[in-house]
Amino acid sequence: MAGLNNLLNVARDALTAQSYGLNVTGQNIANASTPGYVRRVAVLETQNLGTQSGGGVRAAGLDRVTNDYIERRENQATGTASAATTRDQTLASIEAMFNDGAGTGLGSALNDVFASFSALATNPNDTTTRANVLAAAGAFADRANQTGNTLSQMQIDLKNQAQDTIDQVNQRAQEIAKLDMQIAQATMQGDDASDLKDQRTQKILNMSGLINTHTFTDGSGNTVVQVAGATIVDGQHARSLSLDMNADGSLKLLVDQPGGGGSEITQFLTGGKLAGIKEARDKDLFDVSQKLNTLVFDVASAINTQHALGTGADGGTGRNLFDIGASSTNAARDVRVSVDVFDHPDRIAAAGSVLSLPGGSDNAVALSKIFDTQVAFGNTKTAAQAYGDIIGSIGSTRASSQRDVETQNAILTQVQSMHQSQSGVSLDEEMVNLTKFQNAYQAASKMIGVADQLMQTLLNTVGR
Amino acid sequence: MRVTEQMRYDGVAQNLAQLSSRQAKAAQEAQTGVRVNLPSDDPIAAAQLARLSASQSQVAARRNTISSVRGDAELAESSLQQASDLMASAKELAMQGGNGSLGASERATLAQQVKDIRDQLVGIANTRGTSGYLFAGSATETQPFSATGTFNGNDDAHIVDIGNSTPSAVNASGAKAFTSAGGRDVFGDLDALYNALNSNDSTAISASLDGLDRSRSQITNAQATIGLTINKLDASDSVQSAIDLQNSKSMSDIGSVDPAKAYSTLVQLNNALQQSVTVGKSILDLAAFKQF
Repeated sequence: MAGLNNLLNVARDALTAQSYGLNVTGQNIANASTPGYVRRVAVLETQNLGTQSGGGVRAAGLDRVTNDYIERRENQATGTASAATTRDQTLASIEAMFNDGAGTGLGSALNDVFASFSALATNPNDTTTRANVLAAAGAFADRANQTGNTLSQMQIDLKNQAQDTIDQVNQRAQEIAKLDMQIAQATMQGDDASDLKDQRTQKILNMSGLINTHTFTDGSGNTVVQVAGATIVDGQHARSLSLDMNADGSLKLLVDQPGGGGSEITQFLTGGKLAGIKEARDKDLFDVSQKLNTLVFDVASAINTQHALGTGADGGTGRNLFDIGASSTNAARDVRVSVDVFDHPDRIAAAGSVLSLPGGSDNAVALSKIFDTQVAFGNTKTAAQAYGDIIGSIGSTRASSQRDVETQNAILTQVQSMHQSQSGVSLDEEMVNLTKFQNAYQAASKMIGVADQLMQTLLNTVGR
Repeated sequence: MRVTEQMRYDGVAQNLAQLSSRQAKAAQEAQTGVRVNLPSDDPIAAAQLARLSASQSQVAARRNTISSVRGDAELAESSLQQASDLMASAKELAMQGGNGSLGASERATLAQQVKDIRDQLVGIANTRGTSGYLFAGSATETQPFSATGTFNGNDDAHIVDIGNSTPSAVNASGAKAFTSAGGRDVFGDLDALYNALNSNDSTAISASLDGLDRSRSQITNAQATIGLTINKLDASDSVQSAIDLQNSKSMSDIGSVDPAKAYSTLVQLNNALQQSVTVGKSILDLAAFKQF
């Protein structure tokens, strides 16, 4: 009799175990396109009945199919790709600003200034040609101001972006610490922590996109999260990052110390959006601004020197055409048509001396000749050469950044694909599992039927 | 390798995105005919284009200069031609006046004609062009010659940049054409003839002939000089025009696409995109669960 009852028990356990398998399959199918979902495998095992035979099946729990190595690789690749993409966005904006194809750029404004000097030489006593010099100088200053202002504004925007990114990192660190706590609790209570673990993996991946993130498990089994080399989550405790500026205006990244204060980790910032922002702002944007300021300062100074040597139609001399500071700092943003000559076409110094008024054109010619003179970049380039250099260097920086984005994204895709291959849900596979569990469930039901029939037969026989 | 649904979707989406972006760029090139739309499309070419367009701007400025100063130079040349003709007439009057059979009243009539010539010559020497008095040097707003022929201008050159290594003077020198700065005081020579005729002094009349000849050749020399300047302007314009053409050609070579190549690339990518859509569709249709 014990045999028949055991058969029923085995069938009951089988129904439970197979329906557990069906549930897990269902969960996998339902989450086939959930980001960060790691496929589960129902772990079935035979009931251990000691030395007795006839043990049934039992659902021992879930297996989350993960691979730490691949996850770490994905975090790293996400950070690098995100840094490259973020940097490229800024470079794209810079490039658009220096795209002279439309003929409205700084380069053509500068060319127009020299053309206006040439026209002035043809008819120095004509108010219109003089007014044109002022107009061209004004247009050049406007373009320089606009470009300089936009670059400054971008610098401010990028700093704000950096702050936002750091806020997000800090937020994620809090969330991860909280998840760690929940996972510890669930594990202690013997609950399934798979969903929580999925969430944590996803948060860490998300953090990797913001800043280079590394995770490892310490000796006591806690997950340690490090960003830019500094521990930010240790078990269930989170620390925070903060942003500061160096004297030269570049960004400085600090991790807050438990006892107060912060220690600088800027030099370990190698990945994530924050690294992209830092490189774009403190290197690319800085380089372009510096070159632009130097060009504007050098050219405006050379024009000023020559202009001051000449004499205006009113007989005045020693006047500048541009107001510009003593150094190239912010020259593009601050250059203006000099108050000495603003609104006074007659003060444009076309003549070389008061003796050759009003028809003298020698200073106008000398001004137009600056076009061919190496006045820029430490007197090594003409204005047009220097401007061409800036365009070329912006172009090649952007081109190499675009290649970098492509390469890093290809690597990321490759790693993501590896991760998917390991942990993603395959619907084909799940369909096979579904059928497998369904069939097993049906077979177990059949077993109950058979046991029941046997029991009936036996009861009938005995009862007669 | 285990292949999941997500990998299939990602793969198809990525391929399509990559092809679409290449196709969009090819379409832009084919439509606009421009290869370098942004500096990063070809940094070296972009830098060259910036320099070439600066050079084009300079060439345009020089050609504008040439065309705006050429008018005044031509006016100066034709004025000097008229001046030289007037000097020829004055010499004829002097030869007539030298005829021994003439009386005082007839010589006085000739003197009146010489005075008219001198007045006309003052008018010519005071000709105005687009940038003021042509023969005044740099004192372009001061009438250079008074009614009596006194010179109030100077001998400053009007220089402009027409592309030569040293800036070129483009005005005719009134000082050298009409005053003693050129050797002869033209108006003084005419005055000498006028006085000789008026005073019925046949010796003085004959003596004036040499001065009149030298004055005329002084004007003719000035005319030749401004003629050479005009030639120089034309020559420079040809040079600048050749540079213009060469720059335009370089800019087109560097910055433009070969239309045939651009079109065939576009067609290729269009086909690839179409094929990729078809293949992608069949990959996504592949899922085995649909067969259950």
